[in-house]
Amino acid sequence: MALEDYKADMERCSQCSYCKWIPFDQVKSWRFAKGCPSIAYNNFLSYSARGRYAVALSLLNGQSTYSDRVVDIVYKCTTCGSCDVSDKICRYNLEPLEMIHELKFRLVEDGQVLPQHTALIEHLRKENNMMEKPAAGRGDWAEGLDIKRVPGESAEVLFHAGCRFSYDEELQETARTAVTILKNAGVDIGIMGENEPCCGGRAYDMGYKEEFTRLAENTIKAWTAAGVKTVVTPCADCYHAFNRLYPPLGAKFEILHTVQYYDRLIKEGKLKFSKTVPMRVTYHDPCHLGRRGEPYVPWEGKEKKIKNQIVIYEPKKPRYNGAWGVYDPPRDVLKSIPGIELVEMERIREYAWCCGAGGGTRETYPDFSNWTATERIEEAKATGAEAIVSACPWCEMNFKDAINTSGDKMKVFDVTNLVKQAI
Amino acid sequence: MALKDELAGIVGSECVSDDPEALDAYSKDLSFVKPVKPRLIIKPGSADEVQAIVRWANQTATPLVPVSSGPPRFRGDTVPSVPGAVIVDMSGMKKIMRIDRRNRVAMIEPGVTYTELQPELAKEGLRLTTPLLPRAGKSVVASLLEREPTLIPRQLWASLDPLRCNEIIWGDGNKLVTGDAGNWTSMEDAWERKQAPAGATGPGQADFYRFVSAAQGSMGIVTWASVKCEILPAPHKLFIVPARKPDDLFDFTYRLLKFRFADELLLINNSSLAYILGDGPGGIKALMKELPPWVVLVGIAGRSILPEERVAYQEKDIADIAGKSGLKLESAVPGARGDDVLKALLSTSREPYWKLGYKAGYQDILFITTLNRTPEYIKTVKSVAEASGYPTSDIGVYVQPLHQGANVHCEFILPFDRDDSKEATGMQQLLTKASEKLIEQGAFFSRPYGIWADMAYKRDAQTTTVLKKLKGIFDPNNVMNPGKLCF
Amino acid sequence: MALAKEAYRELEEVVGKEYISDDPALLDCYRYPLSHTAIHIGPYYRVYTPRGAAVLLPGSAEEVQGIVKVCNKYKVKFKPSSTFWSAWGFPLEDDTIQLDMRRMDKILEIDDKNNYAVVEPHVIGATLQAEAMKVGLNTHIHGPGASCSCLASATALGGLGPDTLYMGHHNENLLGVEWVMPDGEILKIGSVGSGLGWFCCDGPGPSLKGLVRGMVGTNGAMGVFTKCAIKLYPWPGPATLPVEGKPPAYKAVLPDNLRAYTLGFPSWKAWADSCYMIFDSGIGYVAHRQFNMFGRDLKGAMVRILSDPTRTLSDIEELLKDPEVQKMTEDMKRDYQIVLAGMTPGDIEWQDKALDKILEETGGWKVKAMLEPDLFNWSLLYMIRLGHKNLNLVFGGGYDGCFGLGGTPDFGTSGEPARVEQVTAFKVEWEKKGNVVACGGDGMMGGIGGMGGGGHSLWENFTHFDPADKASTEGTFEFFNATAKYGAEKGLGPGMEKMNDYARWTDGYTTPKEIRDRILGSAAQPEAFRYQRKFKETFNPNDLGDGYYRTLDDPDE
Ligand SMILES: Cc1cc2nc3c(=O)[nH]c(=O)nc-3n(C[C@H](O)[C@H](O)[C@H](O)COP(=O)(O)OP(=O)(O)OC[C@H]3O[C@@H](n4cnc5c(N)ncnc54)[C@H](O)[C@@H]3O)c2cc1C
Ligand code: SF4
Ligand code: SF4
Repeated sequence: MALEDYKADMERCSQCSYCKWIPFDQVKSWRFAKGCPSIAYNNFLSYSARGRYAVALSLLNGQSTYSDRVVDIVYKCTTCGSCDVSDKICRYNLEPLEMIHELKFRLVEDGQVLPQHTALIEHLRKENNMMEKPAAGRGDWAEGLDIKRVPGESAEVLFHAGCRFSYDEELQETARTAVTILKNAGVDIGIMGENEPCCGGRAYDMGYKEEFTRLAENTIKAWTAAGVKTVVTPCADCYHAFNRLYPPLGAKFEILHTVQYYDRLIKEGKLKFSKTVPMRVTYHDPCHLGRRGEPYVPWEGKEKKIKNQIVIYEPKKPRYNGAWGVYDPPRDVLKSIPGIELVEMERIREYAWCCGAGGGTRETYPDFSNWTATERIEEAKATGAEAIVSACPWCEMNFKDAINTSGDKMKVFDVTNLVKQAI
Repeated sequence: MALKDELAGIVGSECVSDDPEALDAYSKDLSFVKPVKPRLIIKPGSADEVQAIVRWANQTATPLVPVSSGPPRFRGDTVPSVPGAVIVDMSGMKKIMRIDRRNRVAMIEPGVTYTELQPELAKEGLRLTTPLLPRAGKSVVASLLEREPTLIPRQLWASLDPLRCNEIIWGDGNKLVTGDAGNWTSMEDAWERKQAPAGATGPGQADFYRFVSAAQGSMGIVTWASVKCEILPAPHKLFIVPARKPDDLFDFTYRLLKFRFADELLLINNSSLAYILGDGPGGIKALMKELPPWVVLVGIAGRSILPEERVAYQEKDIADIAGKSGLKLESAVPGARGDDVLKALLSTSREPYWKLGYKAGYQDILFITTLNRTPEYIKTVKSVAEASGYPTSDIGVYVQPLHQGANVHCEFILPFDRDDSKEATGMQQLLTKASEKLIEQGAFFSRPYGIWADMAYKRDAQTTTVLKKLKGIFDPNNVMNPGKLCF
Repeated sequence: MALAKEAYRELEEVVGKEYISDDPALLDCYRYPLSHTAIHIGPYYRVYTPRGAAVLLPGSAEEVQGIVKVCNKYKVKFKPSSTFWSAWGFPLEDDTIQLDMRRMDKILEIDDKNNYAVVEPHVIGATLQAEAMKVGLNTHIHGPGASCSCLASATALGGLGPDTLYMGHHNENLLGVEWVMPDGEILKIGSVGSGLGWFCCDGPGPSLKGLVRGMVGTNGAMGVFTKCAIKLYPWPGPATLPVEGKPPAYKAVLPDNLRAYTLGFPSWKAWADSCYMIFDSGIGYVAHRQFNMFGRDLKGAMVRILSDPTRTLSDIEELLKDPEVQKMTEDMKRDYQIVLAGMTPGDIEWQDKALDKILEETGGWKVKAMLEPDLFNWSLLYMIRLGHKNLNLVFGGGYDGCFGLGGTPDFGTSGEPARVEQVTAFKVEWEKKGNVVACGGDGMMGGIGGMGGGGHSLWENFTHFDPADKASTEGTFEFFNATAKYGAEKGLGPGMEKMNDYARWTDGYTTPKEIRDRILGSAAQPEAFRYQRKFKETFNPNDLGDGYYRTLDDPDE
């Protein structure tokens, strides 16, 4: 698809503004009703999905040309997909998030890029990670762990740590814990260590589609060569890339997030808790695991009209509207930990507020990214929880940074950390 | 006399009067407003005549004072503020133009009184909610235009309900029909198509009828209006909820307002209730003593669909709600039976007026506030009265929830002997002092008669400026009751 | 056209650099495509409202006043909008500056005794309702739904919707307003003007509320409303809506005192009789012919799709063949939705009995399929929150209402055949041409009570089309020309389809004066617009509003 293919969508967007809010049925307060962090922070209409439709159309129609403002509008979006869920409450034939991606792709193609992104991508090309670290150190996180190394050794399940868990010293321990928990529960698990590729998902969300495709194809090749069938990852970004973006490129792997694996093991009685973790926690749904974590459904077809002017697709097209994301497994895991009291924030599941780390905004718009995270912390605080738990290292980092800036007392955990405490 | 002839040319000589006695009657009322003698009284019979009169007044710079109700009058609004005025007596325009049962609207001319309208409505199974015991000669249209409070707050979606469409002759002589009816070229044609003048707003982007409301005749003259009626209630009961202090009644009243339960709903003190029910000063005095200090009057009516059942469940639920506030829903209290109160509420006042039953005169003080704030005002009026040597036990208080409970009309009734000049002077001072204090305290004199006008407009300079500009548009020559309000 | 540099700089000084922009692409986000929706003109294929000269995001009434003063100094037109869901809120001329009110978004007060809220422009139905529910109150949410500004619909435009029967027309709910007048003065109307609180909008003396708010409001053409007080209504339900289910098929299982029914009737006469009986009995919390917006033939299928997260529009054809859906559609042919809200158990019991009695007397029924728990809970939530109103545009992205049988229930349903059937038959013929969605001709939707307590019912015949399709858009326009002509010939009253022709013309700009004068001059009372011209001259001396304000010169001018 190209940006031009979304022109009809641009003309069919009805300016209803639903994309700025969480689905209205779910609004529980004035304070936590907003859905799109981009417009909430930047205010001008252009910083919403609706606005991005209009900017794209203006560019396509030649009514305006690239400007600093246009670049700002396009990239100051976390690609969290909240707009997509809210849009689809009423619209069955628009794909705002897809269009937002296409718009970013187009800007990258046209060389309208941000220096911070260019540097990141340059580095990614050279060093295979999004952390601006040397490729060679990618496997260091697992040093000393007694875990199979793929492809040298074969394992039923491949544990993919992802860039942040691999390099972020603060978080490496979580990756070590996760893989150990799985191993101890009897999972035949291996890692790729320094050979682990970057999933490319973050590059994709920043607009670097070509880069993503290159990485995805490499990964698929490497996994296929290693005989990988099942991949488990503790990173929501990686999960989304593997689960949603890889299948169209021919990938046929079973993809699980660690929380899904834990959930499975707990329900099968293979993961048992012996300790109490007395804590009131709230769970943050990472966008890429939640609303963007819906399974890929193959579809090829075209638009068609029935009853004269009702726009449908032939054959019936899958509808990604957040309904089928990964929401219950992390909650079930938390609820099964003795002592944990799970309290919900107002915006959860498909209408969760974004952590602010996505779409390349953490790297380029730290204030915006930090504000977005702070908003979430405020929401978490309103539940009376002492900790916010997530299932993605990017969310976790962004929350930690926000808390450091604001001096809040809220604790931040990965589900894995709490599972570990209970074992 | 040329002037008389000119007007006779418009309305016919029998409808122009310069009878000194009649002029004298219009020169004053029972308020403290300074008497000014009008020059003539004319009685138009049609909108065309009214329009001609207004045009003539513009040409001749003659002040016009429109009056629709019969005497006695109390608020000074129909007493000319300037000499040389012509009283436009609308009481002759008495047609009930249409009663539409299905859409529950009646179209009436301004001379139609409550006494005249209700029986006609009853024939169609309708009635119109009224102010508290309007005097027999009270014009329905005039009462509603002056935003007099009516008794059934749950039916007041609009602040001007039950007034809906109006035909207005503005001070510049132009005619405009407001509301739904303003969108139709002919009422006959509209009726034919089964339309009804039920919607009050418009036409266009302004709510023109609001400009003639509480205007004391200073903007224009309404020549017909449509009103929204209720179904004639049956059964209809009235209950009394007594209390020692008004505050004790608030939770209960607020709850009924919120639930939109009950029909008639008003708070009233013993003195006011005695003025309504009592017979002669002696009877009133005795009744005051007998009655509970405060009551809420709660009407419960059934109408058309399962009426008995409605009354039954509301009676039970309202009693429960009362119980939760430690109150009781009674069908009678010492000194008053619900049935008698209901009969009074559904009627017009005995002649000349119920507020005159105790003494030969009375002064009232009325404004808009919220229910929870009324005790402060009661306290103020009492203390000012006390300081003036006025017997506080005579102070009647009437609190009428309006607009489905968003606000209340708060009214103090202060009977006094007009013929006793000392009492009259005292009352005049009391009135001024109390009003000043009340307004300072937060009372909103939304219908600023007499001395209240200055006080109210002083508080809101921007509104005053805008009102004056508006007046300049509708009545550029200031012929409509000049000297009233801020004009 | 660009704004004079000094003017831009002065405006920037008022709001700060961050809150002003004249970037062309950004400005294009503030243009409304006239190809697609309920703006009641056109549709005009690929025509947009003019590009403004700058967009400003004021943060306070003082800033708005500052902006308006600069505008007066430089004679620049300005256009405020709060939530931007219609072309009314967008400029009519190139050199207009757009005020986007979204930064003023606070609920300043909720008085749960005297039942009102004080809000800023960007408070929307959903947020005010959510906060009100916490204290047992509710707010009127007007027809376009929970996304729209409470202030805009109370002060500036529209204001009636499904709950109007119980919660009134929003103009009546307006208890006070803070108005930055076009000349830059601030007027506070009602008790708040005297500094006494927000409880009454009328007085002292003649009510100035009439100046800002008539039937339709001043459409952003007469200054800026920066705060207002809105009357609230009881909410006899939980403090938050207990929403469950997967998107978009959310449902709420609410206590038994809240009930949603779809009522069907054997004839239009019976339909109208039921309305009158509902008005007379005083029952009902929400009452609206809502789902018929999808059309008489399609609504059954659409209800099934919308209430099931696995379904898409591609299921329509299959559903239409389903005998159960066919039965449901037939049962709903002459229908409306009603929500009953009992304040006490006795109240709900009586209301439901009264409703049954009304049905008995009119031969009507509660549509069975809509009583299935899932549909019951889905429609209950839908009608209370009104959070799915962009479904207006679900089929192709374009919709507008035509005809508009506004008035008494008898008006639309009488005639031989009933007027509603006359316009249905007319539309069916046009649907055959293929440019608008074939929905059975009757897409009539609207309130059962168009004013508090009933009295009116208001319908527009929904017409769906594809704004990205030239033939469809232009075919729809042709259809609307035909409906306007038909409506005029049959005396149906002003059709919705041309409602704004007086203001905005085919190129998206102000309607040429002679056309505008002809349209406004042919109104029943042109005098009203002559007065409005005087209001404009008096309060907007530099003419900084736009053609949405209806004005006419005196005949001799
Ligand atoms: C699909 C659709 C369905 C509709 N259905 C209905 C319906 O059922 N009932 C109904 O009543 N209306 C309906 N309308 C019209 C509707 O009233 C308006 O579109 C609605 O009020 C828009 O609300 P908004 O919050 O988006 O206001 P905005 O778009 O912000 O503004 C609406 C108008 O008010 C003006 N305005 C906004 N804010 C201010 C301010 N602060 N000061 C001064 N002026 C201001 C704007 O200039 C504009 O003219 C519908 C419109 C659409 C597009
Ligand atoms: S929700 Fe969808 S249709 Fe509505 S404005 Fe946003 S993108 Fe457009
Ligand atoms: S993806 Fe997220 S940040 Fe971007 S427009 Fe949508 S809601 Fe806003």
